[in-house]
Amino acid sequence: MRVLFFAQLKDATGCDTVELVPPPPDAEQLWAELLKKFPKLAAHRANARLARNWEYAEADARFTNTDEVALIPPVSGG
Amino acid sequence: MEIEVQLTGSPIAEKMSPPRLAAHGAWLEFRGAVRDLENGENISALEYEAYPEMAVREIRRILESLAVKHECLAATVIHRIGIVPVGEAAIYVGIASRHRAEAIALLAEFMNQLKQGVPIWKRRALSVEVRPVNGGGQRTARPTLKSLDEAISEIQSRCPPLPAVCAPLTEASGRVLRETVCAPEDLPPFDRSTRDGYAILKDDESETFSVVDTLHAADWKPRQLKPGEAMRVATGAALPCENLRVAMQENVERTGDRIRIVRRETVSNISFRGEDLHAGEPLLPAGTKLNAGALAILASAGHVHPLVSPRLRVIHFTTGDEIVPPEQTPQPGQIRDSNSILIRSLLLNFPCDLHQAHLPEDFEKAKAEGGRRKAEIENADVILVSGGASVGEKDFTGALLEWLGFEIVFSQVNIRPGRPLIFGVAGGAGVHVSHVAFGLPGNPLSHFVCFHFAVAAALASLTGGKPPGFLRGRLAGKLDDKPCPRETLWSAKLEIGPDATARLHPLAWANSSNVTCLASANALIRVPAKRGSIEADAEVDFLPLKNSWQQT
Repeated sequence: MRVLFFAQLKDATGCDTVELVPPPPDAEQLWAELLKKFPKLAAHRANARLARNWEYAEADARFTNTDEVALIPPVSGG
Repeated sequence: MEIEVQLTGSPIAEKMSPPRLAAHGAWLEFRGAVRDLENGENISALEYEAYPEMAVREIRRILESLAVKHECLAATVIHRIGIVPVGEAAIYVGIASRHRAEAIALLAEFMNQLKQGVPIWKRRALSVEVRPVNGGGQRTARPTLKSLDEAISEIQSRCPPLPAVCAPLTEASGRVLRETVCAPEDLPPFDRSTRDGYAILKDDESETFSVVDTLHAADWKPRQLKPGEAMRVATGAALPCENLRVAMQENVERTGDRIRIVRRETVSNISFRGEDLHAGEPLLPAGTKLNAGALAILASAGHVHPLVSPRLRVIHFTTGDEIVPPEQTPQPGQIRDSNSILIRSLLLNFPCDLHQAHLPEDFEKAKAEGGRRKAEIENADVILVSGGASVGEKDFTGALLEWLGFEIVFSQVNIRPGRPLIFGVAGGAGVHVSHVAFGLPGNPLSHFVCFHFAVAAALASLTGGKPPGFLRGRLAGKLDDKPCPRETLWSAKLEIGPDATARLHPLAWANSSNVTCLASANALIRVPAKRGSIEADAEVDFLPLKNSWQQT
């Protein structure tokens, strides 16, 4: 499963993509795995939203290997 | 509603035409432009970033849901990404409807929702004008001479680590690990036998044992052994329960399914779970250069996409009309190019993509060549230019680098050989350094020396690794020299003596065009200015040359 980082989250992780194999089944375990890999993400957890396959994900979303998941920090377009 | 959404890196057209829908009575347009103030600071541009696939879908979704409430006919949304200068539109929204009220209401709500949920970000504010690459060409006053220490610290401070990337293990060799990797589980993950033999209870004093099962290396058979029971185990096999020891097969007599232990050992012959490392303990710290052993550790931990330094993009230009390719026979006054292969080989220690090319020794022609390669140069992390660095009439590396947009940090270092070393940086619009350049004096020995103390320091800093540093050693023989007003980096052959100290054999060289010492040099002795000869056995500072040292 591909996980994408944007904007300040990219600065925190130092990369824009990470491949998680096997995919963590839910948001809780995804965060646990990411925080272990990138402790600096902890500061952003409260504000970042999860997207799954280009849509904001529900809190109880389940992930599979083919999903593209993204961590979306607060947006500032326009 | 008809919807068109675009993300673009180019300016949005001044005039947009309304959709050709006969029914619309209102065509409402909105442009949101970049202001010259951002968070109270004067700026010249904003840089936008987007998650394009999702941004386009979100914009479409918002418009579709709003159209249910405010009945509109068509909408066009264009958002800029990348750098948008002050005064230019970052967003354009055009809405067609039957009456103005629906379009105005939809626009207001759309902009509010866009600012809440569409994955587009103002990445950073730029406060300095982008330096035009096609400027000048005249030499400006350059910063003067630096000492060796000043030059090294200037290079390190101007070369911050490049953003890290995730790479598969097969691509990661030689790169610098940019995260601390912790053990995902205890190592070893289970109690395992270190011998071929028989597992029995630790305190079992029985005379003979019955063999109840056999464990091969990949078997997983949890089972509580009872007194008088033994299990045949292979080296590396996971043991079936706790409180065991393994009797080596050499100390056992076996008859059918029964064994007798003929000699009892005091050791357990077990490698216990977590003995090497416990889960969560650091396995490799950030900053580790990934060699074969480190990669094997990452593989054993299942960490197959480590966060590492990116492959460096390096361009190397040779200059000089006297240079001919090494396979050609030089005419009188010409010499063969040895610097291309020298640089290519020295870079083997640093994972990089190297492009090599020759520049004509005529400033206008060189500029034309540089202009043709502009995109390549702007994309490179490091530019190396061989030759053309001293002050002769035809020497133009400094001027060329300035013309290419580099700021010259220094153009001379007070050392021998390698004095006319040029170091320049080019800013990504003054916010962060995007690439660095070195003008290397043309003689191979100067090249060799400058690469090791200067270019290697830059490459190490850019990758987030440990820069090369001077060590202490002893001279194995006399270093014969006249006092020189500059510090000298003297080529030497480093050996580890029988007393485990570094012993340095100074190699003979007369001037920077001598090349014979290159083949055996694997260290540079630092001779202080005005020092002259140094007697054998004296303590000296030296720089070990990693890739040269590894080859010997």
